[in-house]
Amino acid sequence: MKPEKINLPNTIDGWKLEGAPRLIDKTNIFDYMNGAGELYLSYHFDHLSVYEYKNKSGNDIVVELYNMKDSQDAFGLLSLDWGGEPVRLDQPEEEKHREAVIPQDRAFYGKGLLRVWSDNLYVRIMAFKDVPGVREAILRLGKIITAGRSHPPPPEMLLAVKHPTDFPWTLRKDRTAYFRSYLVLNSLFYLSHENILNLDLFTEAVIVTYEKEQESREKQSARLLVIKYPDYGKAVTALDSFFKAYLPDQNSKLVPDKDRESQDFFHIEDGWTGFRLSGRGLALVFECPDKKSAREIIQQALLNTL
Amino acid sequence: MKNKKVTVTRRDFIRGSVGATLGFTILGPEWLKGVAGKSSRSSVVIVRDKNAMDTALNVDKNVLENMLEQTLTHVTGKSNRDEAWHELVSPQDIIGLVPTPLMNPTHDELIDAVKASLISAGIPAENIRNAQGRSVDLEPITALISLPGLKAHWLTGIGTVIKNYILYSGAPRNYHHQNSTKLGEIWNLPQVKGKTKLILVDALHPVCDKGPQVDPRYRWAYNGLIAGTDPVAVDAVCLKIIRAKREELRGEPWPLSPPPICVEAADKVYKLGNSDLNNIDIETIGWAEDLLV
Repeated sequence: MKPEKINLPNTIDGWKLEGAPRLIDKTNIFDYMNGAGELYLSYHFDHLSVYEYKNKSGNDIVVELYNMKDSQDAFGLLSLDWGGEPVRLDQPEEEKHREAVIPQDRAFYGKGLLRVWSDNLYVRIMAFKDVPGVREAILRLGKIITAGRSHPPPPEMLLAVKHPTDFPWTLRKDRTAYFRSYLVLNSLFYLSHENILNLDLFTEAVIVTYEKEQESREKQSARLLVIKYPDYGKAVTALDSFFKAYLPDQNSKLVPDKDRESQDFFHIEDGWTGFRLSGRGLALVFECPDKKSAREIIQQALLNTL
Repeated sequence: MKNKKVTVTRRDFIRGSVGATLGFTILGPEWLKGVAGKSSRSSVVIVRDKNAMDTALNVDKNVLENMLEQTLTHVTGKSNRDEAWHELVSPQDIIGLVPTPLMNPTHDELIDAVKASLISAGIPAENIRNAQGRSVDLEPITALISLPGLKAHWLTGIGTVIKNYILYSGAPRNYHHQNSTKLGEIWNLPQVKGKTKLILVDALHPVCDKGPQVDPRYRWAYNGLIAGTDPVAVDAVCLKIIRAKREELRGEPWPLSPPPICVEAADKVYKLGNSDLNNIDIETIGWAEDLLV
């Protein structure tokens, strides 16, 4: 394990780099961040380099470079929170994602924390106090880190969700997330403390949130979860596991047939839920107000592209 | 029935049947017995001062010392700091302070203020030690003062009071996910049970999103201390504050995810205290703006 070839400056706007980076891998990530390490291990994590800058007033800046094995995992980490002020570092001016279900930006700043997706790097640069001048220093560091790096597109998995303009539901781009783990799913939308969908490092999942305005009532929201399993057999096994854990009171009508798509809908405590299985792709909807909405939303999943 | 595989899901929380489901899985029917058996009330004190931190988040030690004294006297009902400490501990006690080490760590200023306050009250300095960490020898310690930072947690929903002793288990990873329900059992380990004399939550600068690492956008200057002798009641009040802040920040429902089931389990299974806010008297002192309770 070696630090990446990024030359961080020894000083920046009054902050001084303190020594060599600390290198963290799978063997010591829990020493560095305790249970937070579970998040990074739930993506394809390679190693983390931690640099510290100090200034005279003791307001440290910590630069964390999470080296993921590929770009989509670094993207996934950013996708867990699209909040903050979008900032442009080394991103091409005219970049337009094919994937319309996410915001266009790759870097966000807020109150002393910069989060960046840059190829296979997920970058966190944080000052402990958001004092005057710190934003500029952090953004400069962000530009130095991302300079000259490539800009792969977001995961193709995101193309498995349609985004038509005439759809009666509004897709919340800032709620779209890409992940592989049930721990991450639970932090976004709790289903069960157990891994009832058999998610792991060999699966890919995207969750999107739809909203609909309602007269004199709270906005209605519904979720679409799309999962790509390594093969059809694993998708069927996962759906069976989901039925047993989540819908034990429903009579599963699933008759696995690799050549035919299957789907069904159920009315449960928080509205209509349903599944659609096609090949190795599985789509699930939750919290839909009626069966019609559940059908409409689950059809937004392009399972044949997986 | 007890051996039947039942999985806790979102549906259990919506139905309000999570206790029953867990009761028949990892925890046994104690959960259900606990529901029927409780009646006593608990008290939690919240002391706030708008000037506890300046705009650069520097802690004013004098203000904090005053807040600590007010907290101690209101928790114990005594008239001054020294009497309050003597109500909680004795000069013969070996006292372990248990701050939060990671993600929104307890302010050093608070740890220092507690130490200084104990010493001023006649507790020998050599009897006060840090008791956080898995390598701490708890055997000689006779009194624990828990000093967690107020925070949400990405694996357990909340990571404040009940979770603050997780390293005493020797295997913290065993208390995440579904097993976070069992965090309360750590408080009943022989080397821990009955030793906690005060829970004093550092709520100066809490974090209301789960992390897993601190994001300053979800921190705010609450400028408070939250204290009591019932760990579950203190955690329940902390939970209320975190939940209220989350909804305020987003302006829309933003439930903690995963749900913080460790608090209710600490009450109903491990009998550590009250999790029901209806059974908790909350006394608030000082700055009243945005109390969130």
